Amino acid sequence: MKSKLTDLKTAAKLVTSGSSIAFGGSIIRRQPVAFARELIRNGVKDLTIYGYPCGLATDMLAGVGAVKRIEAVYTGLFEYGMAYNIRRGIESGQIEMIDVPEVAQCARFQAAEMGVPFLPTRDLLATGVAQYNPDMFKEITCPYTGEKMHLVPAINADFTVLHGYYGDEYGNVQWPEHRDADDLDFIMAKAAKRLIVTVEKIIPHSEVLKNPNRTFIPHHKVEAIVELPFGVHPAQCDSFYDEDVEHLMYYQECAKDPDRWLNEYAQKYIYGVKTHEEYLDVATTPSRLAKLIIR
Amino acid sequence: MSRINDYTINELMVVATSRELRDGELGFIGVGTDGRAFTLAVGIPMVAARLAQCTHAPNFTIFWNNLLSPDLSQIPPKLTQNYLTRWPAAYQPVCSADKNGMLARGEFDVSFDSAPQIDKYGNLNITAIGDYKRPKVRLVGCLAQTDHFALVKRPIIITDLKKRTFVEKVDFITSVGYLDGGDSRVKAGLKPYGPWKVITDKCVFNFDNPEKMMQIESLHPGVTLEEVLDNMNFKPMIPESIPETKIPTDEELKLIREVIDPNKILLRA
Repeated sequence: MKSKLTDLKTAAKLVTSGSSIAFGGSIIRRQPVAFARELIRNGVKDLTIYGYPCGLATDMLAGVGAVKRIEAVYTGLFEYGMAYNIRRGIESGQIEMIDVPEVAQCARFQAAEMGVPFLPTRDLLATGVAQYNPDMFKEITCPYTGEKMHLVPAINADFTVLHGYYGDEYGNVQWPEHRDADDLDFIMAKAAKRLIVTVEKIIPHSEVLKNPNRTFIPHHKVEAIVELPFGVHPAQCDSFYDEDVEHLMYYQECAKDPDRWLNEYAQKYIYGVKTHEEYLDVATTPSRLAKLIIR
Repeated sequence: MSRINDYTINELMVVATSRELRDGELGFIGVGTDGRAFTLAVGIPMVAARLAQCTHAPNFTIFWNNLLSPDLSQIPPKLTQNYLTRWPAAYQPVCSADKNGMLARGEFDVSFDSAPQIDKYGNLNITAIGDYKRPKVRLVGCLAQTDHFALVKRPIIITDLKKRTFVEKVDFITSVGYLDGGDSRVKAGLKPYGPWKVITDKCVFNFDNPEKMMQIESLHPGVTLEEVLDNMNFKPMIPESIPETKIPTDEELKLIREVIDPNKILLRA
């Protein structure tokens, strides 16, 4: 096994303008938010984002005009309301949105995981999704049963970016005991072509060896692993810290107005800081972070 | 919410929903957004499911978010992400693909769905208002609602009766109800299930007619037919005599208020 351990700047430089990225996590949980902030500082543009439910990381990139296309089951910020930056991008025509329901989108990642170009699903018949994307979702008659269904294409993203919990320097990433699993990270990791993982904590390889069944991302899939404590703040990392309600409310208050989001929020928390450590210093205090930590 | 006599409209909607649930069935409850949308998508279904378990359907099973059989006797004080993560439950699959497999295999009997646009054949739109490619208002997408309407046997729609919600034709078909009515849904290749009931704050609708068009089943006490029609952009089918929606019993109200949702976490808006 070879060490894949690197820093955020080096890992984020792998992603260039025009790339497609599959983002893991879900909405305001374990979305690779610090990674997205670094991409913004790097000035990458014209990104295609593949997601299951899209949330905070994609909304930030949309806010600086870095997103060209989104293919996902949802765009929003759960109980904080709409993802305003994404919404404006779609309404203005700047972002091309491909809406896909959950079974179909899951099948697209599963197809990539299985190494096949497509899978069939039954959920697109007569929907607007199929109507608006006839070249992408092809209606067929099943050669075995004669039933109508659709073929959905595999998602083979250029990069897959996930935020994990514990990992070793080789890229073995492990689940904690209590985990919220309402996402597709497990499948996205296996489906990945070039996989970048950020984790809350790097642990010795000897710790991984004790519980190999906790490893949900194996080292051979990983290109880069980065230790990034509070790496999804202000979102939640299950088992480590809860969402930062106050910060997310402020984010939304700014995001209602595109200029305010760009000139106030992004200036202060993205462009105005050089590193993730600096971000944490500006965005929180040790006592506020302590309140978010799950014990 | 306004009160009629001594029960709230939310409680009436809970009871109307609960009575549709059958012993031994598996139901799917999703995750809502904030305010009223949360009450409609999560609050009312959750209380209705628990009420069914406490009364006529002790073996009604819930899959909520990504949890099978969450312990509904322990409603947490707030619903930030970590409370959802730590909610006690019988089973949490390792990833969301398990739930999608359950949907695709047709294992769910009931789902609870809500939408800002619904048309006379029960098609729903949660994706975009206006032209899909350049929407006037971007909504949230599809989530698994499309899958519920394609693959769940009896989707139950829970929404408030409003003119801008009940439209002649949805701008975008996120979730296929009875499509263009009659047998058009089946002709498109979908299972013959379709939406089961529409439970609103003023009345209950069904689709029990050959045209598969929305039809008034009952009016809530104190609500007139005129009031219902005034809040819709299309005319539903109207039976010759319309019964009143059954009101909650004392036992049901006691269970809702004292046992199921004593802190008004679920029926808060």
